[in-house]
Amino acid sequence: METVTNQLVSIEKPEIVAPPNWEPVIMGILCNWCSYAGSDLTGTSRIQYPPNIRIIRVPCSSRVDPWFLIKSLQTTADGVLVSGCHPGDCHYISGNYYARRRFLVTKKLLNFIGYHENRIQFSWVSAAEGPKFAKVVAKVTEDIKKLGPLHLYKKENFEK
Amino acid sequence: MSVEIFVTDKAGLQKFYEAVIAKNETYAPVEKFGKYDFKRVTSLSTCNPDSPIAKTMSAKPLFFPRSAKIMKYTATSAGTDVMETDEDPLAGKRVIIGMKHCDARSLQVLDKVYNWDFIDTDYQKRRQNTIIISTRCDKAEIHCFCTSLDYDVENLDALDILIVNGKDEKIYINARTEKGGSFLKEYIAGLTSANGAADGELKQQYNAFAASFRLKMNYKEVNEKLAKIFDTPEFENVSANCVSCNTCAFVCPTCHCFKISDEKVRDTGVRYKSYDSCNNGYFTLMAGGHNPRPAKYRRWRQRAMHKFVYYKERFGENLCVGCGKCTTSCPVNISIFEVVNQVAQ
Amino acid sequence: MDYTKQIQEIAAKLFAEDKIDAFVGYRMTGFDKNQVPAIITGADDVSKLVFNDKSVFNLSNYLKHEHTRNKRVGLVVKGCDSRSLNLLLTESQVKREKLYVVGIACDGVVDDEGKKMQNCVECMFPDAVVADEMVGNHGRSGSETLIQTGSETLIQTGSETPIYKINADVLDLGSKDLVQRREYFEEVFENCIRCNACRHSCPLCYCAKCCIDQETSTLYNGANTTSSAFHALMTWSLHLAGRCVDCRNCEKACPSHLPLHLLHKQNEQVIYENFQEHLAGVHEGDRGAFYKYSMKDPDDFIM
Repeated sequence: METVTNQLVSIEKPEIVAPPNWEPVIMGILCNWCSYAGSDLTGTSRIQYPPNIRIIRVPCSSRVDPWFLIKSLQTTADGVLVSGCHPGDCHYISGNYYARRRFLVTKKLLNFIGYHENRIQFSWVSAAEGPKFAKVVAKVTEDIKKLGPLHLYKKENFEK
Repeated sequence: MSVEIFVTDKAGLQKFYEAVIAKNETYAPVEKFGKYDFKRVTSLSTCNPDSPIAKTMSAKPLFFPRSAKIMKYTATSAGTDVMETDEDPLAGKRVIIGMKHCDARSLQVLDKVYNWDFIDTDYQKRRQNTIIISTRCDKAEIHCFCTSLDYDVENLDALDILIVNGKDEKIYINARTEKGGSFLKEYIAGLTSANGAADGELKQQYNAFAASFRLKMNYKEVNEKLAKIFDTPEFENVSANCVSCNTCAFVCPTCHCFKISDEKVRDTGVRYKSYDSCNNGYFTLMAGGHNPRPAKYRRWRQRAMHKFVYYKERFGENLCVGCGKCTTSCPVNISIFEVVNQVAQ
Repeated sequence: MDYTKQIQEIAAKLFAEDKIDAFVGYRMTGFDKNQVPAIITGADDVSKLVFNDKSVFNLSNYLKHEHTRNKRVGLVVKGCDSRSLNLLLTESQVKREKLYVVGIACDGVVDDEGKKMQNCVECMFPDAVVADEMVGNHGRSGSETLIQTGSETLIQTGSETPIYKINADVLDLGSKDLVQRREYFEEVFENCIRCNACRHSCPLCYCAKCCIDQETSTLYNGANTTSSAFHALMTWSLHLAGRCVDCRNCEKACPSHLPLHLLHKQNEQVIYENFQEHLAGVHEGDRGAFYKYSMKDPDDFIM
């Protein structure tokens, strides 16, 4: 007997059904000084967090060009998490303030053209916030799991 | 060439189109954002076979796609596996309706280069399996100059079936090639033969059409003069206001420059053949940084000379069909007709 | 709006006083009512210059071309063109002392069908914001249209207070649901033929090598696919966010007539509403919204 209830579909493209036991892939772009150290702390503190995230280290959250997000969404990622230092804590004094503006515009534009707003998420995680990082990743993973697989504008030769 | 001409009316033509669309894989101009592009259609209501020439993209991408996959590959530790693409150039027959004369003619021009030193089998396959149904324009548009070029617009055999709007709302359907003749036989039911009475009317319609042209040029003179003035500073003047946006080459039905490039995700990649334009600054850029055409006017000159001199010398035809698409698409309204004539003077 | 005579006079004067080497204006095409940008290098051709409501193309684009590099140039700018010129000046692409700017008090230009362009209907800065000499009169001088910035009163001109109007198309599309928006933009990206005309005609895209033209196979995105169109248009519009002056050169150049203004207007709206920034290029020395920050920027979308 086939059960068709509770089938997970892509929120942007309802005709696309997630394969059984589908797990999202999340691109995590973390700033070197706070969030990356924070994620390190999560590991050394032995706090568990979902393994869906693939982490890329960047010098500062303002290093994140919107281009990175676009390129991630074009290939593997079902969602993106960008994380940096708390406002005022930036290693380069004001990098995250610049980044904040860019994030909002990018998020709104991607939402405008048909991406669910939870596909692109941002967080401030400091080097001391190991538990928070785990919480953030868990929340992002949970959010994106609800949205289903992303099948928008993926590269043609792309195979997961 | 079959000479039997069938006569029908507007409703009959609609029925003919509908029968063609129902039985065949059909491509026709479909409107989107105010511009018509040739797309697969399944009903006549979604397309417009009489789309205005200035607002219609060329049908060239149906023969020479804007991006064609050449191959796929996978890099493994043992080496690289090269695979055929899953893309079939063209399996069965297909029909294009609503193609204009200039567009159909461009295929004849392109045939020369595609049958030259290397035979492009994909292109050939697409050409052979396609029936072109074309409506002759009633009136020239502002940038048209097809009658000024070196081909016989009236007796063009690049198209398979010709449709002409006659007097008193009569419409004539005429097979121009053997391929078109045998294709048309399937749809004869509902059409009546004009029994040779239509020849005069076709001629008349053509004469009225030919008289409506604003632009007329003597292409032979242009060919000769351009060939002699490679170094004229006039090219610098006429190209000064070009913004090198490449639109002209992308909409041109005869431009056929392309670039080959790989697109890779992880270990698997696809090799693409996509359009390129000689107006592009890095069109001639070589590895190492040398660019033989660094200045805009040199690229512009290449474009004009290729269209009216080099191609003529090599293949005996102008690489221009006079459709005026480049002029209507140009953001700064540069007309190749005006420019070529101005330089040649 | 017909300033042909004034512009011809100014150009003749400039050539006579030997203040410029080239003058960038408009001339008639010679075959229809449309106009071609003209780069005039001598006083003899001054009589060709025209200016009326068909003078659509943003001429500050020509400042990035080799014809005008390292030359003293006279330039005709409308309101939107002057804003892009302002940004080029701020971003050190053009030297102010080499320019003689003829500003226009613009009444709006018309499209091919003779209808006033949508961006002109919504235009907040019809007068050139940077000019050596103003042509036309809207009852205030060029300098008065400059805006007072502050958190509350954003835009203040001489007599009236233009209020930022959200673009009707953006509002319309924004009110639709996610799937409809996705379907709409899928069509946009499908119809893109990747000719990059939008980028080349944009006065603010002056990079010698654009990031969307990467040739490395892993970064390559030049094939004509929906994916690469998405990549190109999104990257392009985000790199122009906070800088786009809504001159619509891109839309005029697009051979597929894509509604590219939607992307730019959406960004402009978000920037205006959330950062209390004025529009791009209105102030001299203002680098655009992404080059500065405020402590009050919204933070609620960040975990």
